[in-house]
Amino acid sequence: MIVCVAVVGHQNNPLYIQSFTEADDALKLHHIVHCSLDVVDERVNNPKKSGPTLNETFLGLLYPTENYKVYGYLTNTKVKFILVTTDLDVRDVDVRNFFRRFHAAYVDAVSNPFHVPGKKITSRTFAERVSNIVKSFGLSSTG
Amino acid sequence: MIGASKIKQYSNVLEKPLSKGKQEVSLSAFAFLFSELVQYNQTQVDNIAELERRLEDAGYAVGARCLELLCHREKGNRRETRLLGILSFVHSTVWKVLFGKVADSLEKGTEHEDEYMISEKELLVNRFISIPKDMGTFNCGAFVAGIVRGVLDSAGFPAVVTAHFVPMEGQQRPRTTILIKFAEEVLRREARLG
Repeated sequence: MIVCVAVVGHQNNPLYIQSFTEADDALKLHHIVHCSLDVVDERVNNPKKSGPTLNETFLGLLYPTENYKVYGYLTNTKVKFILVTTDLDVRDVDVRNFFRRFHAAYVDAVSNPFHVPGKKITSRTFAERVSNIVKSFGLSSTG
Repeated sequence: MIGASKIKQYSNVLEKPLSKGKQEVSLSAFAFLFSELVQYNQTQVDNIAELERRLEDAGYAVGARCLELLCHREKGNRRETRLLGILSFVHSTVWKVLFGKVADSLEKGTEHEDEYMISEKELLVNRFISIPKDMGTFNCGAFVAGIVRGVLDSAGFPAVVTAHFVPMEGQQRPRTTILIKFAEEVLRREARLG
């Protein structure tokens, strides 16, 4: 079950945060996303020098907390996507798929000429597409 | 709508996804639009430097979005961290998507370490433009310079980019050169990466 997705700009300013459960505290999720940004920065600035991991966009599991797993993805413009999930047995390939579709939705939202880069994403279409992707993620990983 | 029914009708053309589509736009439509852009900016400014700056800013917005789109579509999401990598990306991929062909040449400047030049025999945007004598060295290629600056800046390589006319012997129209001057931190980072 995906609990929260977030888009964070290159100066670590939040561009879009959306949580998908009513039960949990939204503030706690924001805090988890914020902490995971440190892990992203660490991965970016001190890469393990092995070749293929240097330029990779998908950062993988950032850190597991008590009942959440946090995945990270970095785009070419240093914009980060953070995914918080409560599933214990997500497959790597599912998360990569999720981020690929999320990136497509993000590119469409940013190509809007009325969108100011660096400001929050306010497009309703983007919000709808993200909730569609989140819903289908739940179905494909349990199916 | 008349004709055979399509698979999916979008109620609003703005909601269509950015698929590959027909990668062609009519040249005359673009030329008219660009000339209107230049004319509109001309009425708003008092001097030529301001006009160049406005065209560059317009190009900057295009460049930033172009980078996001191209990285997602073409490059399989690999991030460029090296100087030569991002320069060859601009020189081939970006030029190919925007103008339908790769740029004519990419050269390293001889006087300074941080200068690179992309040259083109005739920029597409300048094809239907002639500069009056009293505007001196103004070049509408400032728009393309802005696009390049947008791409480089969003990728993490801050630079100052300008467009210049370079007269060639034996040819009537001068060649256009986009001069890219990288910031200090880019060169230091490049030296550190080895």
